[in-house]
Parts: sequence; C-alpha cells; structure tokens
Amino acid sequence: MKLHEITLTVNGTRETVSVPAGMTLLELLREKLYLTGPKEGCGAGECGACTVLLDGRPVTSCLVLAVETDGKEVRTIEGEATDGQLSTLQQAFIDAGAIQCGFCTPGMVMSARALLERNPHPSDAEITEAIAGNLCRCTGYESIIAAVRLAAERGEK
Amino acid sequence: MSATRYVGQSVPREDAIPKVTGTAMFVHDMSFPDMLHAVTLKSPHAAARIVSIDTPAARALPGVRAILTGDDLPYRLGLYVQDKLILARGRVRYQGEPVVAIAADTLEIARAACDLVAIQYETEDPVLDPREAMKSGARLVHPDLHTYSYMKGVFAPKPHTNVAHQQKIRKGDIEAGLASSDVVVQGRFYNPPAPHVPLETHAVIAHALPDDHMEIYTSAQSPYTVRNLLCLSFDLPHANVRVHVPYIGGGFGGKAGIQLEPLAYCLSKAAGGRPVKIVATREEEFGTLPSRQGLHTNITLGATNEGKIKALKVKYVWDADAYADYGVNVGRAGAYAGAGPYNVPNCHIDSFVVYTNKVFGTAYRGFGHLEVMWGVERAMEIAAHKLDMDPYEFRMKNVLRTGDTTITGEVITPGHGRPDKCLQAVAQSLDWGKKDTPVSPNKVCGKGIAALHKAPAMPTYTSCSAIIKLNEDGSADILISGVDMGQGTYTALRQIAADELKLQIEKVHVTWECDTAFSPYDWQTVASRFTFMGGNAVIEASRDALRQIKEVAGIALHSAPEHIACENGEAHVDNHPEVHVPYEKLALGYTFENGNSVGGPIIGRGRYIAHGLTNLDLETGQGLPAQFWTYGAQGVEVEVDTRTGEIEIVNMVTALDAGKVINPVLAREQVIGGVVQGLGSTLFEGLLFDDEGHLLNGSFTDHKIPTAKDIPRHTEQIFIETPQPDGPYGARGIAEHPMISVPSAVANALYNALGIDFNTLPLTSERIYRAIHKKRTDQ
Amino acid sequence: MIGVFDYVRVSSVEEGCALIAAHNGGAVALAGGTDLLVNIRNTGRSPDLLVDFKDVAKMNQLVTDETVGVKIGTCVPLNVIADNKVINEHYRALAEAARSVGSYQVRNRATLGGNIANASPAADTAPALLVLNASVSVAGKDGTRKIPIRELFTEVKKTSLRIGEVITDITLPPVGPRPRSAFIKKQRVKGHDLAIINMAGYYDPDTRLLRMAIGSCAVTPILLPEINLSGHEPIDGLVKRLNAIAQNAISPIDDIRASAEYRRGLVLVLLHDLLSMLLGAEGGADEAT
Repeated sequence: MKLHEITLTVNGTRETVSVPAGMTLLELLREKLYLTGPKEGCGAGECGACTVLLDGRPVTSCLVLAVETDGKEVRTIEGEATDGQLSTLQQAFIDAGAIQCGFCTPGMVMSARALLERNPHPSDAEITEAIAGNLCRCTGYESIIAAVRLAAERGEK
Repeated sequence: MSATRYVGQSVPREDAIPKVTGTAMFVHDMSFPDMLHAVTLKSPHAAARIVSIDTPAARALPGVRAILTGDDLPYRLGLYVQDKLILARGRVRYQGEPVVAIAADTLEIARAACDLVAIQYETEDPVLDPREAMKSGARLVHPDLHTYSYMKGVFAPKPHTNVAHQQKIRKGDIEAGLASSDVVVQGRFYNPPAPHVPLETHAVIAHALPDDHMEIYTSAQSPYTVRNLLCLSFDLPHANVRVHVPYIGGGFGGKAGIQLEPLAYCLSKAAGGRPVKIVATREEEFGTLPSRQGLHTNITLGATNEGKIKALKVKYVWDADAYADYGVNVGRAGAYAGAGPYNVPNCHIDSFVVYTNKVFGTAYRGFGHLEVMWGVERAMEIAAHKLDMDPYEFRMKNVLRTGDTTITGEVITPGHGRPDKCLQAVAQSLDWGKKDTPVSPNKVCGKGIAALHKAPAMPTYTSCSAIIKLNEDGSADILISGVDMGQGTYTALRQIAADELKLQIEKVHVTWECDTAFSPYDWQTVASRFTFMGGNAVIEASRDALRQIKEVAGIALHSAPEHIACENGEAHVDNHPEVHVPYEKLALGYTFENGNSVGGPIIGRGRYIAHGLTNLDLETGQGLPAQFWTYGAQGVEVEVDTRTGEIEIVNMVTALDAGKVINPVLAREQVIGGVVQGLGSTLFEGLLFDDEGHLLNGSFTDHKIPTAKDIPRHTEQIFIETPQPDGPYGARGIAEHPMISVPSAVANALYNALGIDFNTLPLTSERIYRAIHKKRTDQ
Repeated sequence: MIGVFDYVRVSSVEEGCALIAAHNGGAVALAGGTDLLVNIRNTGRSPDLLVDFKDVAKMNQLVTDETVGVKIGTCVPLNVIADNKVINEHYRALAEAARSVGSYQVRNRATLGGNIANASPAADTAPALLVLNASVSVAGKDGTRKIPIRELFTEVKKTSLRIGEVITDITLPPVGPRPRSAFIKKQRVKGHDLAIINMAGYYDPDTRLLRMAIGSCAVTPILLPEINLSGHEPIDGLVKRLNAIAQNAISPIDDIRASAEYRRGLVLVLLHDLLSMLLGAEGGADEAT
C-alpha cells in the first residue's frame, strides 16, 4: 500500500508521519500519535466524539483523511491544559457538573473551545448550536451549556 | 447521628480531571503490543438455516490468525436461560447475529478476510410479532427450548413454544373487582424496542493465558458477572479468570451482562494466546448488540365513581426477540411492578416474555418500568377522563400509602417513601389546573402528570462488599467492584467514607479500575442499587477501619479505644485533644520511640446482602421482590403546533423520594440526563423493522438521540427525603427513575392539549399530525 | 482506515480533471468528504483515487460583486457561506439552507459544491439555489461550460454532469435592491437531521416575481413555475393556488423519515409560512406602486 509522508502540527508539536491515504485523522491521532483523547463514537461524522480543531475550526476527525492535514495545525483535548494546569474551560466543566461518563467530554470541550475563540460571549442559543453536533447520553446537556456559560463569564478566551 | 461534613454536599468528582483532560483510559483506548483485532460476519437474514460456511480463502490471507464459526464453540450461555451460543450454529435467529469471527493483525486484514468468507443460508419465515409468536402453531425460534438449563424456581420457559417466561400476579378476585367497578376502561399500548446508545460502544480485550487462565478488559457494568459466566460457560475455576473494568463510556443496562467477552476469549485461544480486541461499530451497537424489549400491553382498569381503583387486569407481552438474556427478568419485574405505585385490591397480571426473530432484548435503564408505566399511567389517565375527574386527583386517591398492600403482598410502611408527596410537588411546580395561553394561534398547550416507582430487580441473594485500606500518609483507598460509569457513585462513596472515617475527603479515594483479582465482590452495577448497597458496605468497612484505628490509637495514647475520638484524620483522647496521633502514624501500625510496634496495616471490611427478599410464587406472584422502592412523579408542559404535529417541551418536572440526597449536584445531573434520555424514547427513538425482520434504522442517520437542541426549555428536579430506614444515611437509588414516566407524562399532556389519546411510542410529529387530522375529519 | 484508495492533492482544475479522465471512472473528486467518505465507509467500496481540489485557489474563493452577483467556489465550506454578510443580506435562503446542513463540525468541511454534486433529493442547499436562479460552472477534459441549477439534478443522486466533469463554482446572479428569500426545513428532531421536507422562496417586491422550490418530495428538488404577482392577492388565496401547483409538481414517497401524506400536508404549511415571511404577514403584496 502506498504511503504518503505528511507533516502537521499537533498541539504545537511538528509531527512527520507516513500514512496510507485511507487513514483518517482520528486514526492518525489515536493509533500513530497515541493521543487517545478524541474518541470514535460512530465513524460517520454523526456523534462528535472525535471532534478536534483543524486550523482552529472544529471538525469530526473521523471524516478527515490524515493526508488532507499535511501542512495544517491540529489541536486535541490533550493540548487544552497548559503545563498540567487545567484551562478555565476545563475547570468550568468540572465546576458545573458537566461530566459523567467522560466519553463525549474531549470532543465537547473542543467544540466549546472553538466557540469561545470565535465568540467570547456566546448566548445560550449560540452555545447550543456549537455543541449540538456532540452527542451526550449521560448529562442531558444542561450542565454542559452551563459550563460553557461559566467559562465565558470567567473570561476564558 | 451527628451532622455530616460531606454527605449532603456537592463534592466534585475525582474522576473529572482524567475525563476532562482526555487521559481517562477506556477499553477503546487500550492496546497491547501483540494484540489482534477481530471482526464478525453477521447474518443478513432474520431467520435462516446456515447451509455452509466456506473459510479456506480467508484463512489463507496473510495476517489472519484465527477464524471461528459456531461449530467451533459448543458453549451455551445465558444469565437466566442458557439459550445463546457464542456464534450462531445451524440457524440464525436475527439479522445481525454473528456467524463467523475473524482475528487478524490489523482491522483492515480482518475486514478483507471477511470478504473472502462464503456463507450459504436457507431463509425461513421469521416470527416478528410476539403476539403472533405466542399462538399455537407459530414457528419456533428455539425448537430446543426444552433442552436448555435455566434458573429454576424463578423462571419457567415453556417447552415447544416461543414463551421464555410467564410471570403471574394474582391478588384478590379480579372478576369480582371488575364486576363491582362503576367504570371500566380498556386500552392497548405499545412501545417499540429501543437501543441504549452509549457513546462508547461495547469493547473488550481478551487474553487467553496458559493453563486455562484468562485476562479480560471489558467495557462492562458487572465485572463479577462477566467472570462468573465465563467460568460457568468454559467450566473454569473462578481464580483462573481475571476481569478488569477501566473507565466505561456509559452502559444504561446494555453493558450489564456478558456480550462480546466469550467470543474474544475463544478467538484469543484459537490464535495461540495472543490478546484479541473486539470493538463494536456503531452499526453493530444498534443491530447486533441487544436493546430494550418492545412491549404490547393490554389493560383493563375498573374504578368506582368516587375514583377508587377496584381492579386492574393486564396482559404484558414482551418482545424478547432472539434470546432471553435479561429479558425474562424484565418480564418478571414488569409484572410485580406492573400496577404502578397504586393501591389495587384486585389484580391479575400475566407477563409473557416471547421469542421473535429480531435483535435480542436486555436490561435497559428502568428495567421494564418505563414500558410498563407507559401503559399503566396512560390507562390511569383514560380512567380519570371517563370518571370526569382531574387526573392528579384521581392519582392522589389511589397512590400507595402506609398500611396499603402492594400487588405482591408487601405492606407499605412509613419508611417506604411518599409517592403522594412526589405527585403533590410536581403538581405544585407545574401550577396544575392552570392552562397557559399559547404564544401563537397555531399552538395549543397542555399539562400532564404521571407517577412512577421502581425497586431494584435483583436476586434475593444480591450482595456487595468493600475494602478500605489506609496508606502510609493516612489516606484511605476504597476497593469496590461496582462500576462508576458516570452516575457518580464513587464520589458518593468517598463522601460516606470520609464522614465515617472522620477523614478529609481529599484523602479518600476509590480505586478507579475494578479488577476481580483485587476488588471485592459486587453483584452488578444495575438496578439503582449500587449507592444503596455499596454505601452500606462502605459504611461497615469504614466503621471496621475506624474501630482498628481507635484500638491502636488507644494503645499509642496510653488510653483505651472507648475513650478515643477521631476527627480530621487524627485520633485523640476524649476531652484532651492535645493528646493526639494522626492516622499516618497508625495506618501501618504504631511504633513507639523504643521501636516496639503494635497494630498493623489497617484494613476495613464491609459487606451488605439483600435481606428478607423472597422468590415470587410462580402461580400468584406473591412474595417480597423489593429491597426498597423509590417513588416519584413527573410532570410536563407541552406546546403543540397543530399544523405540523411538532411538540415543544416547555417544562419538565421530576420529583423523587430519594430518602437522602448524598450529593445534590450529582443527583440533579442524574435526573436531567435520565429525563432527556426519556424524552428520546418519548419523541423519536425506537428500532424499525421491515416485514422480513431487517433493521431499517441501525445507525445515527435514521436513529436519532437527543442533541443539545432537543432538550426541554426548562427542567426542574425536586427531591423528597423520607429516609429509607436501611439505606446509607437514609438514601435510596434514583438512577433509573428519571426516565420512567417521561413518555406517559408527555402523552397525558398531549391529551390535555389536544383531547387525543396516544397509546403508541414514539410520539413523532407525524404521528401527532395524523391524529390531529383524523380527529378533525372524524368530527 | 475508512477505505482503500490513493490520494492526490491538485493545485489546478485542469490537473484534477486530467487525472480523473486518465483513471477511467476509478477516480473521484474530493471536496469536504462528508458525503463521499461516509459512502465509502458504508458501502465498503473504494474508488482507486481521490482527487482533492481543496488547494485549487478559484475553488476556494467566495467573491461578491454587485454586477456579477456571488461566485462561490465548490470547496467553500458551508459555515463560510452561512456566515457571509452579503449572502445573509441578499441571498438569505442560501445562508439559512447552508446553516441547516448537518452539525457545526460537519459544516466546517461540507461544501456547497459537494452538497449539490451528491444530488440527494433532500439536499438542503438545492431549493435555495433553485429560487435564487443559480448556475453552476463545470470543467472537464473537453473544457468548461455553465449549467443553470434547474438543469443540474436529473434523478436520485444523479446530475447532468458528464463523466470526468467537476463543478468548479456556483454563481448567484445579482438580485434587486430589496430582495427577499427564505428557507424552511422540517426534520424529525431539532438536532442535525436530513430533511423530511425543505422549501425555499424568493420574492422581488419590485418586479413582484415569486419563485418557490421544494426538496425531499420527488426524485430531485423541484422548482415550481415562476409566478408574477399582480393586483392584491390575499395570502390565503395565494397559498391555496400555489399549493395546488405544488401538489401536482411533487411526487413524494413513504420513506423512513416520513410518509408521502405527511410531506404533502407539510407543503401547505411551509408555503403559508414562507409566503408570510416573503410577502408580509398581513397578506398580499404590500408594495406601493
């Protein structure tokens, strides 16, 4: 099978890897770079558990080919905390009780992260729209919306 | 009891940090260097004879390490009825049933090998409707039912039929009760099979080790059940099987039993002992792994003109689909709970669990109670209308109160809880009796209310145990095999232990991973009983540890245990706090200055076993099945667009008699999550099959679950606290309850809004639209 | 892996078309991938080669010009279209349609060109493009051509594109000084979903031209015949008139999302709501002559 050499920046670090064309960004992150934060919940772009930021925009990484990310910047949940310090957004998730089983959490935080970067003071409707592509079966979403609201209030950017 | 420092507080979860940083390891995330990946080939037919399976081409593919078919695996499994094989053998019983399993170096090779396997089937007419399947002469899904072993005394499969179990409740005299009723209503109700949809699909890594040992990592709710069934199925000593459960991404009952583990083990064995990982795809999660059973309900309810229920006759026909799994117990529990939290003097219930050719049913949050309450609470509503009585008043006249007897003969005591208070709280919160004016001429508003109840549906011998060990720094670890899959029980247990041990909560931890080699036995994390039983076990373990602390402190402080008081991780002599010793100095024994040592490592042991429960009489259903009942009520305000049938949930209120809320935020979150899951079942969830038993909506494209946009405009959670006498700090379980009466409350609100009875779920906009139009043309 | 195929990123339309032609049916164009990759995954059938056009400059541009209108490159993601100020102000139906596709994450990858090339009868952007009189630029080995959007959709998931042709951009012609357009989509749930029915309308209050288009009710999205309003026709009458035309033009089926009967019923409701939005709720054309 033909391999393509690509170079991408992941959470600030340049990575050069050889990948087959059919490998998804999600598979690259989880299997080759051992970043198991982004999860596979469906493999078809419907559940959002695989959400990462590609050049700053949230995408379902299960539907992005690794080869499409050559020269691009990817951010995952693993890059959210700095030097072991939780971000304001992560702390807000904890304080608002917005975490239960935790499987949707990495993708959910990334969607929220992208939202706060493009809109530091979102309304509840805007928060809802931003996370509507992230399925959660445990929380019923109220506390997640509250967490993002809280993070915005606390000045997360 | 002195005031507690932690119990009753909203202590944050310890597991929040691994989860919010993405470092929490789920089985999905785990791998081993020599691990193989396995996939299965599944039946495309709902019912068929397997004529031939041709595997040589697949076996020859480089990288394929093991291929198994049903003929290789003569093991029969089943929690209650041993009706299931690991891979289909001879015949397939549902579309999606695994027939061939392939383990290979990579997932791609395994998938490519699948394409090289040829399977010939001879299709048969599937049996799809359990009511048809019950009739004599129906084709049998399990012609060999009479050869299966099963849990005698509790379940009774009927040989040469499709009936896996029939549960009977006989209380009083039903004919006399109906005859003496002024008003009799009848109704037929249906809820479809519905999938759990945990965000993490089923996943397992199995490692067959030398000398018939095995090690399993599984996303499962019940490590000890997995171990036990593996031992029973493969005839192995319990010490040979080690089961680990790390973080799990939701279960909701779908991971309560044993599913992929036996297959993964067999593949590992066939592959020379290399670990084998199986991860269900989302489509397999929908169509191969089990769901909630569908239910057909036929209710006859009789009441007096004054609004007192005289008689309730119910026929429940559960769609067990292809295998009994938990389904027979759901049918049992649905029967003994099948009259709702009401005082019913004459009751006749027949609850049949029936095989059909569809993806099989299993435990699902609520364990039959959502399905049963759909029928019961709708029938109550219809009866209230016929009596021209307010539905809330009608319920209040009949709800169980102290001194009443349930349909299995249990007498209600003050410690049972207060369904009347729950109903009252909901009615008050909803401003019952006042109808809101809709915002637009095309919309109508309505309010609905429904009661609920559930006890843990568990064996009479269900038990739990906990070990607490102190560490060198005076901190405490709790070892327990219940699973925290997000419901937060580990946090509640930390709170309980911290209060009991008189230790700061920052120094109390629950060892996250369950490992049957180290974590002491717990039955299963199901049934809303883990906080109750685990809490009690942890209390006992804490008190045992505290006794040991006081004993060695007594020696250390030249005093006696009965004069020692503990607080904040320190033991001191009563009335002389300056004479003290911290736990750190006692945890592994105390050493005097001259070197003499006393005591030893402190290990607290605790356990709890269900007490007083009995099997139900197989003819009358009388007995005590319930360790405790949690009562509740739910109310909803809806807004309906009469042109399109679309519903908006304006307000959803839930009241539960929790006994004692150990952690308010966690309790509230549990309720909100359950309510939203319940709304999914109410408004759009349910598996759809064609006439040949093919699943039509086995993916997220056509089986939707609620998103952030689908939640109610407003929700409210009310907790009543009537202490449960034998609950930890008076607590009862509440995990399943928030789902249970969501559908019936919504349908009752729709009647209030539209004057239309809805008796089938889900309440899609199209169903509502059609009913509105039918009503218009009928008028 | 989501499939077994090879991949190449091209930097010009010509390079891409040449590759597609050379592969004799085994190569397909890749834009956002949110339809293509899902199809490959679900069918288990991979093309030989994916030709990624996302680096082609002209396919990434969104150019607005008062005389030319709006030219949207095929690879422009739906979120960019949904957020564009000019499109929101002057071609609102398209902004709303783009906003309704999938989830926010999907819209960062899914493209307008991809949505119409996939040619689902329920494609959300299609009714909007139809009422806005869009045209599609196409390139192939034999050169380029322009197709009016109403000639693009031919059958379920089929277009009038010839083998080897790719859509390079979509043009929306200039609109009058006070254009009104709107889009409504009905779904099974409030979260992301395929349409049970979608509908777009466009009305120019100066010329009094009205266009309506309906999706998910036939094998292709359907553009109703244009109407020029005259006099002062009350909304209810206009809705009735248009409904009769619409019911005749559509041929909905029963499918897993909805029945034909429900779709037909919703047509009436959506016509009413759209016309109220476009013409003003008080009824009738409200422009002073």
